[in-house]
Amino acid sequence: MMKNYIKIAFKVMLRKKYYTALSLIGISFTIMMVTVFASFIDSVIGANATEVNRNRTLIFDKVSMYKAGKETASAPSYPFIEKYVAGLESTEYVSAFTDISYVSDVNGRLQGHHLKLTDENFWKIMTFDFLEGKPFHQTEVKTGARVAVITEKAKEYFFNDQQAVGKSIAVYGNSYKVIGVVEPAVGYSKAYADIYLPLTTDTSVYSKPNEISGSYCAMLLAKTSDLKKVRTELRGRMRKIRNHVSGVDSVKAYAFTALEQFSKSSSFRDDEPEYGKTAIALIVVLILFMLIPAISLINLNLSRIGERAEEIGIRKSFGATSRAVINQLVIENIIITLVGGLVGLGLAIYASQLLVVVINSFDPLFKIPEGSLILSWRVFASSLFSCLLFGLLSGVYPAWKISRLNVIKALRGGNNL
Amino acid sequence: MIQLSNIEKVYRTKTIETIALNKVNLGINKGEFVAIMGPSGCGKSTLLNIMGLLDSPTAGTISLDGQAVTSFGDKKLANFRNKKLGFIFQSYHLINDLSVLDNVELPLLYRDGVSGSERRKRAMEALEKVGLSARMKHYPNQLSGGQRQRVAIARAIIGDPEIILADEPTGNLDSVMGEEVINILLNLNKTDGTTIVMVTHDEHMANKTQRIIRFFDGQQVN
Ligand SMILES: Nc1ncnc2c1ncn2[C@@H]1O[C@H](COP(=O)(O)OP(=O)(O)O)[C@@H](O)[C@H]1O
Ligand SMILES: [Mg+2]
Repeated sequence: MMKNYIKIAFKVMLRKKYYTALSLIGISFTIMMVTVFASFIDSVIGANATEVNRNRTLIFDKVSMYKAGKETASAPSYPFIEKYVAGLESTEYVSAFTDISYVSDVNGRLQGHHLKLTDENFWKIMTFDFLEGKPFHQTEVKTGARVAVITEKAKEYFFNDQQAVGKSIAVYGNSYKVIGVVEPAVGYSKAYADIYLPLTTDTSVYSKPNEISGSYCAMLLAKTSDLKKVRTELRGRMRKIRNHVSGVDSVKAYAFTALEQFSKSSSFRDDEPEYGKTAIALIVVLILFMLIPAISLINLNLSRIGERAEEIGIRKSFGATSRAVINQLVIENIIITLVGGLVGLGLAIYASQLLVVVINSFDPLFKIPEGSLILSWRVFASSLFSCLLFGLLSGVYPAWKISRLNVIKALRGGNNL
Repeated sequence: MIQLSNIEKVYRTKTIETIALNKVNLGINKGEFVAIMGPSGCGKSTLLNIMGLLDSPTAGTISLDGQAVTSFGDKKLANFRNKKLGFIFQSYHLINDLSVLDNVELPLLYRDGVSGSERRKRAMEALEKVGLSARMKHYPNQLSGGQRQRVAIARAIIGDPEIILADEPTGNLDSVMGEEVINILLNLNKTDGTTIVMVTHDEHMANKTQRIIRFFDGQQVN
């Protein structure tokens, strides 16, 4: 049965070249767009290679300070994170980091670098692949050792691809000894940078030890998936601060996962995440994205399937149930959609690379790595799934409609839908 | 075998109402080969389609093989068409995208428990019966009219139906090819005892059958 369906699906596709081409272009283009979009979202929120713990990693990047009913909000300072956020019971690790940029000049060649100042826990929360050497540890962070972990891309730039560990790079006039080389993290993720340095190499980090606001960000890896527990504990700590820090009535800390941050509405005032407008807007956009092509595909299918009235009449004359007719046509449609979908996925690989090139052309000094929008298996699977759904949805209605046609009417042929 | 009681078929369009069949009572016995004759537009095709469960009557009841089929739902109807009936149309109605062999196999595709290899085997046997074994890899549009009609016969007989309904099976064929087709049907009736109802315009063909039923203006005349 299935073999028969597949056989006729391909025959029909080849015979009706116009419809086939039109359907395939529509489907592949839609799937391409959806895939690139999904791939971008995936790099922002997905638990991809470097950030496998993303769904239980909270990002604490904002504190609100209240004084006489007035609120000021900013990023926290490192001493604040160290004093009040590190060592929460419900967390496995807390890591602090800040991103800065640096333009180097090696033999007249200018190059922008994303620097990340961080601590030893960063390497425990993230899972980097070390091509050479190792990450920096607690002692190096404590002592402010001038060591660096660089990405493969940075290594290529500084050392022309030769062994990097043991050699030095210059950053802002200081020399740092390279102790590790890693595969680059996905662009648009908290893990991403070109050069990683111990945050204590920034000598100003403790210059204002009692200041709450600063330019740091913390990652809190929860022990369990119960993120509420972490937030509750964090709130508890914030309540104690009142008495410790002069000049502030109360402090509020905001810690959310990448997904929560992404799907939350722009207001960060809530204690627990509220999946607000952004999520709704995102879903509406995605549905429209799929709905418009789906409707045109249904229309296309109505005429494509309508032209096969005679065949349907013949099949029913010899014992096909309406159900069998629907099954056949839907399976055929899914086959066509899958072919289109695979073409679309192929196109998406090129399109996402092209997108990276376009993005990089805006800021040639600070290029994101070429593999930044690489298709993860999750994106691949969800695109394939939407493809199936697409095929199912756009096929069912026309198939159902023709299956109800009177046999004699169908046999007479012509387009009856 | 086939019992029609008070069958009426009315086609209604916005402007006119056509009474295609007017209170037809008709019985056809098991193993009979019957010809239905009459002028164009008198309702022969309509009658055959109703007998073959391809169309439903406006009023009246049909019983096939002792079963009242008038009230059958989609699944039962399909099952009945599949197992008990075999249709042969004037305009062949072959699926052009499928090879001769696949066309002939079609009815068995909708029968449970028939393996692919058995379908193939039986299709080859059916094609053998109509003398077209050499053409099984061809496509319908590579065949002559007579050959196409023989493919259609092979498709009608592959499921061993008890009743074959043929609507002007020789209508598009020259006399030599027509003769071939009628001989296959006669042979089928004689050797397998298949009940056959054939619509024809051709007195010569009709005279080869056991009984001629004449129609005029939606009614049987004698
Ligand atoms: N789908 C239809 N709609 C309206 N009238 C029809 C339809 N099918 C057949 N008729 C009419 O019913 C009558 C009988 O038709 P038909 O059974 O095809 O005659 P025959 O096969 O004897 O030539 C004719 O007058 C024809 O015009
Ligand atoms: Mg007719």
